[in-house]
This record gives sequence, structure tokens and C-alpha cells, in this order.
Amino acid sequence: MGDALPEAVLIQKELSDKDSQEKMDLVTKNLPLFAEKIVLPENDTAAKSEGIHFCVFHDESQLKVLMGLIDKELSEPYSIYTYRYFVYNWPDLCFFALDGDRYVGVIVCKLEAKRDGYLQGYIAMLAVDAEYRKRGIGRALSEMAIDAMAIRDAAMIVLETELSNKPALALYQSLGFIRERRFLRYYLNGMDAFHLKLMLHDFIDSSLNEV
Amino acid sequence: MYPSTLPAEADPSTMNGSSVAEPPDFQAATAAAAAAARASSLEQDEWSVGECGFLDPDVQRTMRSGSAAEDITQYPMHGWVDVTKEFHDACAELQPGELAQDMLFGLFEAMSAIEIMDPKMDVGMGFDKQDLPPPSFEAAIATGAIKLDDLTPSELIGIYDALFSCLVSWLEGNSMDQVLFTCLYLHAPAQIKDKALRVFCTAVRNLIVVIKKIIAVAAVNEEEDFQLYGNSALLAAEKAQPATVYSSLKDVEDELIRKCKKLTSTEDWMAVVHRLRFMRHLFQVIYHVEQMASNDTVDDKVDIYKILLVASEMLPGIRNTLDRGTQPEKGSDAPNPMGFSPRIHDRSQPPAFPRSIKIRDRPSSYQFLEEMISRFKYACKVTKYKDYYSALNFFIEYSKKSGQCILSRSVLQTLFSANMRMAHGKLPMKQFLRHSVQVFNSPPVLNAKHPVAADPKVQQHLENFFRYCINMNTFTQFIRICGFNRARQRDKLARLIENFDTIQVDAARLDSMMNQLANERAMEGNEPMATALKHSTHFSTWVLYNCFRAMLIFLMSGFELELYAVHEFLYIYWYPYEFLIGFLVSALTRTENILLAQEEYAEHQSKTQSGGSGAAKNRKAAKPKKNKKTQRPYRAEIVFYHALLSLCGGMYKAMGALTKDGRVRLPLSKFDNEEIRYNRRFLPFATLTSPPPVSYAEFKNVREHMMRHSVEDLYTYAAKHFDQARNVLESIQNPDQEMLDLLQIARTNFVVMNVLARGHQKEVKRQPEFDFSKHSYFPIIKLK
Repeated sequence: MGDALPEAVLIQKELSDKDSQEKMDLVTKNLPLFAEKIVLPENDTAAKSEGIHFCVFHDESQLKVLMGLIDKELSEPYSIYTYRYFVYNWPDLCFFALDGDRYVGVIVCKLEAKRDGYLQGYIAMLAVDAEYRKRGIGRALSEMAIDAMAIRDAAMIVLETELSNKPALALYQSLGFIRERRFLRYYLNGMDAFHLKLMLHDFIDSSLNEV
Repeated sequence: MYPSTLPAEADPSTMNGSSVAEPPDFQAATAAAAAAARASSLEQDEWSVGECGFLDPDVQRTMRSGSAAEDITQYPMHGWVDVTKEFHDACAELQPGELAQDMLFGLFEAMSAIEIMDPKMDVGMGFDKQDLPPPSFEAAIATGAIKLDDLTPSELIGIYDALFSCLVSWLEGNSMDQVLFTCLYLHAPAQIKDKALRVFCTAVRNLIVVIKKIIAVAAVNEEEDFQLYGNSALLAAEKAQPATVYSSLKDVEDELIRKCKKLTSTEDWMAVVHRLRFMRHLFQVIYHVEQMASNDTVDDKVDIYKILLVASEMLPGIRNTLDRGTQPEKGSDAPNPMGFSPRIHDRSQPPAFPRSIKIRDRPSSYQFLEEMISRFKYACKVTKYKDYYSALNFFIEYSKKSGQCILSRSVLQTLFSANMRMAHGKLPMKQFLRHSVQVFNSPPVLNAKHPVAADPKVQQHLENFFRYCINMNTFTQFIRICGFNRARQRDKLARLIENFDTIQVDAARLDSMMNQLANERAMEGNEPMATALKHSTHFSTWVLYNCFRAMLIFLMSGFELELYAVHEFLYIYWYPYEFLIGFLVSALTRTENILLAQEEYAEHQSKTQSGGSGAAKNRKAAKPKKNKKTQRPYRAEIVFYHALLSLCGGMYKAMGALTKDGRVRLPLSKFDNEEIRYNRRFLPFATLTSPPPVSYAEFKNVREHMMRHSVEDLYTYAAKHFDQARNVLESIQNPDQEMLDLLQIARTNFVVMNVLARGHQKEVKRQPEFDFSKHSYFPIIKLK
């Protein structure tokens, strides 16, 4: 192409909003404080998730809760070491939703540099207790996670989800993810997966040619 | 959802080896040292290193393969050392949440660890009192669980049917050890005394080797299709001798038929014979294909198609006698009561493998084999397509129909390659492409009879061009890509499309050079050669046509794979409607015009030469009638593209109307960026100079212009497009099933658009359902 690629620019529409700015400042300021429990303000879906509050992962006592939420919902048989890999490497990218003292939802992510030099976020797990469905908790957790990764200058966010997981597909689609590829027989149960991607910057990475 | 299978970077074999060879500097090293000390003191108890559970899996497999099949019934009784106290002492030093780590064993590596007594990972936890460890081949013989001689027809039929089921399950992508080698008879066929069983099991083992080779050579396999590599220690135990399988099976068949003549009740034995005969013919076909893949010299006397017909004829008889064999026991995973041990390989499977495999049932397995034979027959037809255009069309059609069957796709690739070598000798693809351009639009410079073809300058340019096509590998890859599974095809097409640009440039250069030569010849007074060389967009048109074809498949396959959200349909249908299909029609129309011009020129030449002969005139006059039949070789395809064009236009306008009408769910704007999504969807086209990329800004302008119309008008425009499609499709003589399906889609959507244009459900805005069950690329729009 004749034109040079435009410099990647983080989409900052939301930063003009005061509430969003305040929330992001709070997240930024408190990221290093792993040992301290962080209570985040309710987000845009406050009306639906009234009474729900959120925190990040901070210690081993939450591990059983995390495992309980995920094992109930997802088809893959994770070992405790898989959970530890994520929450001890990226504790500030693991968000819990609580109703009082009860943990009712969780999202687990990671953020790492790819060989092209950009940062890629990855949503590894998302689960909401069956009794708390349709209250916007999954969306709230996803938005918090995406915000947290965007603040740290992620260029894109990716994940895989099962072909048959319609609620998850609908959620991610509404957030702007595209289904970039289909992986046949991706999961142990033989199910296909979609590879979903949300580009926060517009540039050509090499992933489309990775075969 | 994060997959729980092991990352490729973490090799459990290497890790375990490292752990054993060099104990990590854990606090747990104390416990390891204590365990080693205890182990030394127990040497007098005849502790065997081969039975030590934590040895490197490769070492275990090596030792196991040495003894054909290890008796593991006594496994738990040997070699264990109680380290409970040491373990508790070491744990007491850790705080809650504290993990022991090493430079080479961190959080990432820990994901590959197996947690003792975890039911998901620790295979030993699968055993209980009611589920004894599976016996080995020797143990099964010793306990009388399996017979090696004097099997009854019922037992033979049961084992044969179960083995065919295992074969099908293996072809569907399951682990060889978890399906086929659950059959204990396959572990050591040489030890089987019963001749009918021995030759059948030997045939299965040889079939495994031959099939693996076909799939490996064809190279259209991916890890999700078929496990080409894996534990084949058992397979190596007896050397494969595929050349002798056919005659062995035949001998046993003949022997059993002679035996039947002495018996009063022969139905069961004939059922055995039918299965042996089916296996013999199936093996013959597959072995012959494998020989074609690896040898230039193949026995021309073997007619694969006829052998496939005979195999097909065996299947009804087999299906009618399924109930005559022993049947699987209820609640058991074993496909047959005798001879199978589903969990015999539990310990040798990587932790990431599924714990159990559901082996296909017998009726559906024979159904699979019947369909596979049909696909093989269909694949045999590839030999009659002598040029790139018709061969590519065949491969595209075959890919749509071959489904997930990796063997069918591999067989087609093999038949095509072998046929090419026979037809074109050395450098087959280069000669094939040269021949293909000639067939496609008949450039005079490729016609050996034409005077211009003898020009050495012309030949040099042609040689350079076709060598360049081969070096870029683009045309070869396009045909091979059709052999991959549908999801991988799309990924690989994206890369292929980007490669077309450089070939387009070279083709344009070649055409330009031909034009230049034509002008030179004209100035030299060589009018015939100059006129011939003027037909000079041949190579560009040929390259562009194939590029457009790849682009259309890439774009529309996103619907088949369900990659597009409904709100994206607008620009996905817009691009082929506004640009791509028109390009295809232009390329084919230009080609037809070239061919027509050449025929007129040839006719003119012949008339000039025969002007003085009355008798010759009468003979020449008959030619125009013949020519008319072949004047429009691409007419059918052009008509089809006109139908696609109208369907894409209909869908584009329909999506515009539905969007404006508020019936399409759009993503929230917080993170979403339509321009990025648009660019992402057309990314593989971005590097092409022809056709030029269409920017998001351009699309946005076109859409805004369209959206100025009222919702009712947009629905009406969409209906008109669908009606145009119906008109075109109804004009096609002898329509195939695809055209009939498209016709139904066009009719139904025409009605739906008119209903919406008249204000149906005006107060309730719901997103319609898009039903792609009739066609992969176009849905029936259903209102809820």
C-alpha cells in the first residue's frame, strides 16, 4: 500500500466522561495494591446490577470461590494450577462480582506483549452464577476488564468461546468483538470454537496469517 | 474460554524428564531425597525400574513396546514408597497461597502438572472395585477373556463390525490408541490361530499404515482433522506388508466359500465372507491410491472405480446381517463383548486427551463407509478435467460435499497429482498451467500451429511467466487449499489472495510485451502475426479471474462458518454486489469476446485462402454452424453470477432497510469501531492493486446515499432484486439442486420484503431470523 500505516491511537471517547474518568483514575491508582481489597464503583449498568459490587483478586482465599464459579459453567476441566497461572500473574485483571458476601461472577484475563510489539489482552474465563443471570453482571465484568486492559494500552483483546454458547457470543458481539476465525474441534468435548477479536487500535497485525 | 489442553511450548515429556534427572531446588527436594533413600533400601524387594510410575513417558513407552503388551494388572503392587510424612513436613513450611517455584518451573509450567488424586487428571482415580484395570493381550488370553481359535461366525461378525466402527472413529479424528488399539487382537495378529480373524486384523493394521501415508503425502491434514502422529509403538510391533493383504483375504474367502458348500446353514458364514470381501476391495482401492501417491509407475490395469462399485455392492448384505454378530454389552464402552479393552491405554495417553471416546455405533459406521466410497467414486472423475479452470471448479464442488472426511479429501489430492504426472510428465504443474491458459482463452502465442508461436522471443517471455507462476506457487496452492477443512480453507485463502498481486503485475507485463511485439511486427509488414498478437489481455484476464474467484469464496465462506454478525451483513453483501461479481462477469465476458474475435479472424483467414476454389467453399460453409455451439463457453457461469449479483443486491438493500427500520441489533459504541471492523473484514484484499481496495469512507458514502430513501422504498428495492434473481434462475435450463435452492430463497425473500414494505409489524421491531439451512451464502429471511 502506498500510504504509511497510521500511528495507533487509543480510542479515548470515554475519557471525556467524568464518571468514567473517575473510575479509570481509581483503577489506575490502585493497581499496585494487590494485597488490599479494592472496591470499584458501579458502572454504567448500575440500574440492573443494583446491590452488586466488584473487586479484584487479592489472595488465595478467593481461589476456591473462583474455581467453584468456573467449574460449574465451562466445559474444560481446569486444574488449580491453571487458575493460579492467571490470577497470580495478572491479579488486577481478575474481577469478581459480589452480592453482599456472596461471589456471583468472575472474569479472568491476561495481558502480554506479542512478537509484533503490541500488547494483546486475552479473556480466559467469564462466568456468572445461574441465579444472577440477565442482570448485566457479565457485561459489567467484561467492560471493567476491557477498560483495565485498554488503560494499559492493549491494542486488541481476544478470546475463544464455544459455538453453542449463544449468550456469550451475543454479549461479546454487542461489545464490538468480531468472530475472526472458526476453530474446528477446539475443545475437549469436540465442540468448535470462535476466535473473537476486538481491535482497540487499527493496524495490521500478523494474526490473520497465522495458520 | 481458555482451552485446557497443554500449550505447545510446554512439553510434558521434557518437563518430566527434567524433573527426574535434576530435582528442582524446591523445598520439596528434601522429600525427594528421602524417597530416593527409601528406594535404595528396598532394592532387595525386586523393585523393577520398568514399573516405576514416574519415569519419563518416553522411557515407559520404549520399555512397553519391547514386550508387545505389558501386563499391568499387578502394577499397583510394585514400587510404591510411602512419603506421607515427608510430604506433610514439607507442606508445613508453606503459607496458605504460597507456591514452590523454580526458574524452570513457574506458574506457566505448573499448568502441565498432574495433581495427584484429582479425578480429572490422575488416571488412577478412574479405577474402583467395579472397574478393574484393563487386561493386556497376554492377560486376556490367560484368563480366557479372548479366544484365538475356532471363533464362531457370530463372534467373527461382531469383531469385524466393531473394528469397522473403530476405523471410522479413527478417521473422524480420534486417537488411534483410544479407538483401534482398544482391540486386543490388533496388538499381535500373528498370534491369532483363527485364520479368518488373523487375516482381517492384519488387513486392518496394514490399512492403518497405508491410510496414514496417503494423508501425510496429500498434506491437507490439520491437527483437528486427524491425528497423524502419536503412539504407534503397537503398530511397529509387526511390520506392515500391504502387498500381501489382498491375496491373504482372497484365500480365506475362497476357503470359507468351499466350507459353506459342505454345510446346511450357510447364512452366517456368508455374512463373514461378505465382510472379508468388502475389506478386500476397500483395501485394494486405498492401497492403490497410496501407490499412486508414492510411485510414478502405477498398474494401469487396476480400475479403482470398478473396485469401488464391488465394495458398494457388499454393503446391503452386511447391513442386513448386523444383528447376527455379537453385540456390545449395555453400559460398556467396549464395541464388542470379546476382544476389546477400552481403557488399556489410559496410562499412555497425554493428560490433555479426552478421558473416554464414544466409538461410533455399527449402523452409522457402515453409513460413513458407504458415503466415503461415494466420495471416492466422485473423486475418480477428477481425471477427466484437463485444465485449471475445470479442475478448480471440481475441487471447489468436491470440498462442499466431502464434509469433514480427511481421507476423501486426501484421496482427491492424490488422484489429481498422479493424473497430472501422467499427463504432463516432468514439471507437471507448469505444463498444466500453460495448457490451461490455452484452454481458457486461447492466446495465439500458445497455439503450436500458429506462426507467432515459433518466435523465440515470444517463447522466452512465456517461459519466464509460467516459471514465475510456479515459483509463486499460488495456483498450486489454490487447488490444495480446497483440500483442507472448511475453516482452514478460509485462513489460507486470506494469504493466497495477497500473493495474487505480484502475479497480476507479471501477467500485465507479459500482455504489454505481446502488444509491443505486435506493433513491431505490424511495422515490419507482417500483418498476420501482428493481428494475432493483438489479442493480448489473455494472461491478465486469466490471472484476475482466478483471483476474483478466491476473493468471492473467502468473503462468502464467512457466512458458512457463521463468522459474521447480522449487523455486518450490510457491507459483506455490498462488496460482491457493487464490485466483485461484476469483476467476475467482466473477466468471463472479455474472455468470450476474445474467443469470438479469434474465431472470426480464423474464419476470415480460411475464406481468404480458399477464395479460388468452389469445392472448398462448400466444405468451409459448414463450419460456422459448428462454431456457434461453442461460441459462449462461459454463458452458464455468467448467468449464474447474474443471479448471485441480484441476490447480493437484494440482501444489501434488505439489510439497509432492516437497519434503518430499527430491526438490526447494533453493537454498543463504547468500544466498537465500525471502521476497524470493516477494514478487518477486507484485510486480505488491502494489498491488491487489482481490484483496488475500497476504503471505509467510500463505503460510508454509498451507504449514506442509500439510506436517504425511505424504509418502504428500500424494502421495495430489495424485493425487486430478489425478483430479478428469480427471473434469472428460472431462465436456466436443467437447473441443479443449488439453483433450485437459490430460487426458493429468492422467491421467499421477495415475499418477505413486500410484506415489510406494506408495513407489517410496524410497531414491533424485532430482528428477523436469517436461516442459512438452504444455502451457505444466502439466508431465507424469517420474521418472528
